[in-house]
Amino acid sequence: MTEPLILALPSKGRLKEQCEAWLASAGYALETAGGGRGYTAAIPGLPGVSVQLLSAGSIAAALDNGEAHLGVTGEDLLRERGEDIDARVALLRPLGFGHADVVVAAPAAWIDVATMADVDEVAHDFLARTGGRLRVATKYNVLTRSFFARHGVVDYRIVASAGATEGAPAAGTAELIVDITSTGSTLKANGLKILADGVILKSQANLAASRTIAWSAVQRETAKSLLNPDEVAVFAKLIPG
Amino acid sequence: MRAEPPVPAEVLARVRAPFLEAGAALVDPPVIQPLNLFLDLAGEQMRARLFIVQDEGGREACLRPDFTVPVARLHIEGGQPKGRYLYEGKAFRVAPRGLDEAIHPEEFTQIGLELYGDAAAPLADAVIAGIAWRAASAGGRGDLAIKFGDVRLTSAFLDAIEVPAGAKAKLLRALSRPQLLNEVIDRACAAAPAPAEGLEALADLPAAKGVEALETLWRERGLESVGGRTAAEIVERIARRAEAAKAAPLSAVQAESIRSYFAISAPIGDAICRVEALAEGLDLTLACEDWLKREADLGLEGVDLSRATLEPGFGRAFGYYDGFLFEITSQTLPDSAPISAGGRYDGLLPRLGGGESAAVGCIVRPARAWSGS
Repeated sequence: MTEPLILALPSKGRLKEQCEAWLASAGYALETAGGGRGYTAAIPGLPGVSVQLLSAGSIAAALDNGEAHLGVTGEDLLRERGEDIDARVALLRPLGFGHADVVVAAPAAWIDVATMADVDEVAHDFLARTGGRLRVATKYNVLTRSFFARHGVVDYRIVASAGATEGAPAAGTAELIVDITSTGSTLKANGLKILADGVILKSQANLAASRTIAWSAVQRETAKSLLNPDEVAVFAKLIPG
Repeated sequence: MRAEPPVPAEVLARVRAPFLEAGAALVDPPVIQPLNLFLDLAGEQMRARLFIVQDEGGREACLRPDFTVPVARLHIEGGQPKGRYLYEGKAFRVAPRGLDEAIHPEEFTQIGLELYGDAAAPLADAVIAGIAWRAASAGGRGDLAIKFGDVRLTSAFLDAIEVPAGAKAKLLRALSRPQLLNEVIDRACAAAPAPAEGLEALADLPAAKGVEALETLWRERGLESVGGRTAAEIVERIARRAEAAKAAPLSAVQAESIRSYFAISAPIGDAICRVEALAEGLDLTLACEDWLKREADLGLEGVDLSRATLEPGFGRAFGYYDGFLFEITSQTLPDSAPISAGGRYDGLLPRLGGGESAAVGCIVRPARAWSGS
């Protein structure tokens, strides 16, 4: 008996339903062990696959750390694993669901601030005036750091945000935020606006393959059966047998 | 976490010897340091290089990434105007992924010296660089080179060619990240955008009226003032931007001068001649004369001037230097792995809540200085 291919899929919520719909459109059904609350599942049409049901964040970690062969998770969560994530995870297919933009938002009352260049100036003035740095509330440390660096913005500080990031400026714990938004209405309700050049990433759910896990010949063949010819070519190039 | 291979005791003693001659007090600052202090000083980019530790309540601290700030804190706590401090111990920095861990260990020994107070330029600069050179050379490598930069000279040069304050601040901030420099110059050459529609009116009002107008505008648009900036600050910036949009941007001639300045890399005397040529007719005499004195003193301190280069626009990532600075490298190690580094940071103590004080310091990494045989 050969080792199965480990496929990590979202364990709950809308992302799980959309994943099931996507599998169904390819002719596969997902059978969760132990009713709806299990942590593993099987796809009867794909006997060489063992499905693990994880949170979206854990799926990104599992692909990064070589604990799953394939997985479905948000590009934002994968990119947040490190600027060099492409060396460890191959994004094979955007799946057309789980859309969310990672954006930089500033108080809408700052009518003089529209771009990252404005943020740079304001941050510099803020440091000169107060001796402290402009605070950016986010749970996307890596994405924030590399995006701000690309725009030459240095005079800022990240403050960790566990829950409602968009509330931080109103609560006085940060001046800016970096967060995901799908419609922008939550931002607006919190008195924030997205900067004109402040879209860091247009994220959606992706089928991705780990480059850090060991792939057997059988596992590679199983993976290819889930991919279209273009994706097979990308897979073969990025994960050579 | 990758540590360094041990350095033989006799090599360590040779590297340490020049530091002992300086007559400084041996100090041992805490390994665990306040995280916020480092991030406020060096910026968020530093976070990726710091080992961050958390106590059970979630309070964050970091392992010292170097000794300069920990020693500066000791000096401030001591309350004396002058101080000479010697240290030898481990510092901790996360190695960026993809770098050779043998060359960039995450736990490494530094021997260093910090002088506060009695440290006037240019003599103290030469003394500190001399100690660093003799200590680095004591590791047995015969292929060392020393590269100098000078933040104060750069600042004086930008003033001399009349670079506007905003552009100057951006250029100085780009010193520690040369890959950004060209972009900063290009941006400074582009005309500043005029105020966005609806804001010109605000820009032309006297300050008090401007605040009133902005508050009216907020009410009309249903906006609330959130986030750390008052109406007065916003109006003030709008007026300043409008003024900047009228002023001439950085001229092509200025941009060319700046590019030429940052391209200078030559023996000290030649480099200073080139700076003077670039600033022709402008007054840089003081900063340049300082370098000629410094060069003579460096020779007296035992620095091999045939191995010395002045690259006035050279900056380092740990960016509290505000005067002269240097790195000592070996041909057999990559430039990203200097054996020794140091310089002047007169502005550091005030930023940490201390009084004004001349300050110079340097470190040597014995494991890099050691030739291995």
